[in-house]
Amino acid sequence: MKSLTIAGNNLRRTFRQPSNIFFVFIFPMLLILLLGVSFGGEFKPRVGVYADDPGPMGEELVSSLAGSGNLEITRIQEPESVRSSVERGTLQGGVLLPDGYSGILRSGGQARVEYLLRPDQLGQQVRTSVESTFSRQAVILRAARFSSGETGISFDEARTQAAAVALALPEIEVEVRTAGETLYPEDRGRFGQGASSQLLLFVFLTSLTGSVALIETRRLGLSRRMLSTPTPARTLVSGEMLGRLGVALIQGTFIMAGSWLVFGVSWGNPAGAAALLVLFSLTAAGAGMLLGSVFSTEQQAIAVGLLLGLGLAALGGSMVPLEAFSDTMRKVAHITPHAWALDGFTALVRRGEGVDAIITELAVLGAYAAVLLSLATWRLRRAITG
Amino acid sequence: MSVQNILECNGLRKAFGDLVAVGGVGFHISEGETYGLLGPNGAGKTTTISMIAGLLERDRGEVFVDGMPMTTRSVRAKKAIGYVPQELAVYPDLTARENLRFFARLYGMQATDVKRRAEEVLEIIGLGDRAGSRVKEYSGGMKRRLNIGIGLLHRPRLLILDEPTVGVDPQSRNAILESVEELAGAGMAVLYTTHYMEEAERLCDRVGIIDLGQLMAEGTRRELVSLVGERDRVALAASGNLEAAARAMASLESVHEACPGGESIHLLVDQARNLLPRILEEAAKAGASVNGVEVTEPNLEAVFLHLTGKALRD
Repeated sequence: MKSLTIAGNNLRRTFRQPSNIFFVFIFPMLLILLLGVSFGGEFKPRVGVYADDPGPMGEELVSSLAGSGNLEITRIQEPESVRSSVERGTLQGGVLLPDGYSGILRSGGQARVEYLLRPDQLGQQVRTSVESTFSRQAVILRAARFSSGETGISFDEARTQAAAVALALPEIEVEVRTAGETLYPEDRGRFGQGASSQLLLFVFLTSLTGSVALIETRRLGLSRRMLSTPTPARTLVSGEMLGRLGVALIQGTFIMAGSWLVFGVSWGNPAGAAALLVLFSLTAAGAGMLLGSVFSTEQQAIAVGLLLGLGLAALGGSMVPLEAFSDTMRKVAHITPHAWALDGFTALVRRGEGVDAIITELAVLGAYAAVLLSLATWRLRRAITG
Repeated sequence: MSVQNILECNGLRKAFGDLVAVGGVGFHISEGETYGLLGPNGAGKTTTISMIAGLLERDRGEVFVDGMPMTTRSVRAKKAIGYVPQELAVYPDLTARENLRFFARLYGMQATDVKRRAEEVLEIIGLGDRAGSRVKEYSGGMKRRLNIGIGLLHRPRLLILDEPTVGVDPQSRNAILESVEELAGAGMAVLYTTHYMEEAERLCDRVGIIDLGQLMAEGTRRELVSLVGERDRVALAASGNLEAAARAMASLESVHEACPGGESIHLLVDQARNLLPRILEEAAKAGASVNGVEVTEPNLEAVFLHLTGKALRD
């Protein structure tokens, strides 16, 4: 019971500070929202289009680009603005139609379209969408020009007929399959990837920076005072541990429930997700307690806590997905508990598997927790009993 | 050990590496008695009471609190003590009421008693009207009172106060000393460490003088003073036949020296306060008129200087 009293006191102190409320509850949810909006599954590359007096064929082309469903088309008044926006990366591509586009084509001339793209993978994907739209129009125009020349009907009439014929032709169905997993798969929803990585980042970071409270308790002589009461050292240590575990579990549960309710994030098998959260929280609590028992000033703990919390999160795939890592770095990442927990969530959520599929991940997290909690208990006991 | 002793400790020894912080300290405290450990900073006071409170493993010696052996693992013996550390061991981000309730639970008080006793202690320490404010908003004196209040929660048989007035303003200091006097008056045994000689003289029934980890001497103030041969000095501002008056006074038992000066007589006596009526009587008989009396009793500072060869605040 005294362990619970000490744990409850820790929780009260933690959640009494407004800054902790922000960093434990609000900030992680804001980041999940931000990451989801920026990189989530509904992201469409933005393509700027300059078209001055494009005529019906130019408007038709712009409509086709917008109607492809893959691109977000923005009309821009100045060609230089399109160029500079692509250079700066605010647009993923740019299309510059020549002035009087329809007139040039109707007169049998050659229309020179300028296409700008970013030198990255996304630019190449945008290029494919744009080129296919242009190709469709080019085929119709070539057919119309041929028909007009052979039959003597007007170019516009021939183009209307060619377009009608093209619509009537059966489409060639191409089935596209992808191998491996994408970095931000759409089946997780736009917020899914960010939720699990932010959950792990913040639970661990909060535990490490929460070690400050433990150092304050020791520095103010409160630990010694507690020991002067009829409270055994093991009860005191277990109370401190339960307090830190409580903070981690409350934060983790809040992020899980909040992201599910607000953003519709799926966490997969509930038992598996709960097991991952509990074991990761135990690991985080152990790390926080160890930090709080090794260092003697709050400044040291904050500095090292931030460094470790952010560094391990980055290394463990909580900032950039593990799939983006090289094979070697992916192996290195698995020295962190974050990587194992992320593997577990990936199995539960993306592959829809159950607890039995993440036994290895749970065992590794359990080992992390056991080692860190044992070390922290030993070190804290030594620190408070002198 | 004798039954009436609330605390009995013998041969306490603690070394940190080669440094012997406490070497063979022993004393006892009876019910209602206030015992002072007087010594300069670094003398071994805190180490001694840490062993007594079960906070520090001792190398040698034994401690009994209310008849129960005390170790760092003792639970029953710790129920009998209230420990008030030198530092302000209170949660700054909790209120005084929350601090008291938290420690009351750690002292093993029943849930129903926790709230009631916390309110009682708040009244005792005079923080009833600020009980809901966070401790970080308190003045230094208020924090000190709360620090003491936590030690009183479970009505301990022995209250251990480790330099409770360090860094406290004179008004709060006086309030703390009055509180300790009241607690001792109510029958609580008090172990009080200090390096302020005036506090030890005012509060303590018996004083142990400690330096370099050794208990140099102990006893009542009077016993300590007599132990080192220090006597009371009396200066009489007088006129008339001072020579005759001095001779008459010197003949009194307990007067060791009587020296007439220009307009005064200087005496070296035992128990000046008791002897003063007879001194004045002899002066009148010898034809001297006494206009003023100044009594200087030897204090513990002098005793400490005598025992250690250095001043208490060195």
